Amino acid sequence: MISQIVSLLAAEDPTVTHHWLLPEMAEIIYGGLASVIIFVGLVKFGGPVIKKGMAARTEKIQKELDGAASARSTSESEAVGIRAALGDVAAERTRLLAEADTQAAALLLDGRARIATEITALEAKAVADLAAARGRGTDELRAEIAMLAALATPAVVQATLSDQTQQELIEAFITSVGAGR
Amino acid sequence: MSNARIEAYARALFEIAQAEGDIDAVENELFRMARAFESNEQLRSTLTDATIPADRRQGVVEQLLGGKASNTTTQLVALVVGSGRSKDLPAIIDTLIKRASSEKKLEVAEVRSAIALTDDQQKRLSAALTKATGKQVNLKVVIDPTVMGGLVATVGDEVIDDTVRTRLEQLKSRI
Repeated sequence: MISQIVSLLAAEDPTVTHHWLLPEMAEIIYGGLASVIIFVGLVKFGGPVIKKGMAARTEKIQKELDGAASARSTSESEAVGIRAALGDVAAERTRLLAEADTQAAALLLDGRARIATEITALEAKAVADLAAARGRGTDELRAEIAMLAALATPAVVQATLSDQTQQELIEAFITSVGAGR
Repeated sequence: MSNARIEAYARALFEIAQAEGDIDAVENELFRMARAFESNEQLRSTLTDATIPADRRQGVVEQLLGGKASNTTTQLVALVVGSGRSKDLPAIIDTLIKRASSEKKLEVAEVRSAIALTDDQQKRLSAALTKATGKQVNLKVVIDPTVMGGLVATVGDEVIDDTVRTRLEQLKSRI
């Protein structure tokens, strides 16, 4: 067979084909053989690589799927947490509002009590101030009267000291000293 | 002026007055002169003014006392004024009076009154003060309008005050 092929090859011009579409027989054979060899080689050597690559890809896809599932699970758990937190926020809001109401009520009560105390103290102070002012006014008036009296008395006394009174005062002194005081 | 110098002047004046006789009259005139000097600002400033010559100040004394006081009194005051001791005239005279009283074994009783006392009142007052203090007194009356009424007597350290002025002051402090 090999010899036939060789003879064929040698007998004919390799650049001229017998059919416009089909190649020469030898080419078909060689091509077929080469194709088979390549196919076998591909199957033998490329198959495992492809198989391995596919397996790796499958594994990668599986990993991605697992990751996505995990992410989904995480997201769902976070969503649950957020929903829970939302619930907590609502409860906290309610609690804070209630606490604010309580504090406002306490402040109001405290403020009213303090204002009442301050009003009482102010009233007491006003009463005391009035009493003090009244006393001060009385004292000042008394001092004024005393001062005027002190100023006026010598003049009044001097005017009333007649000669007779002067003599009486002198006689009274002599009598008093003579009597041993 | 120191007390020793005042004493010295008082002793000298006393001896001159005693030598001249009528020490009682001179003593009384000097006492009145001292009180006038104390109470009269113009007289005091004139007699103590060092810018006025001594003979002119002595002339003022002679003009003031001439005919109203004895010659001895006038000369004694002029002597003090002429020696430039006018400022100490009251102290010298008071010391002289104390000395004179001491010679007579008397205690000076200075009595201040708003009006003059009659002789009878002075006698009775002397007797009363002698009785009250247990000392024979040499009464010296000062006319002092500031007492207003009544009398205040000072015998040594003892003061008997029954003046209207003091009563008014007590009243004022009570008010």
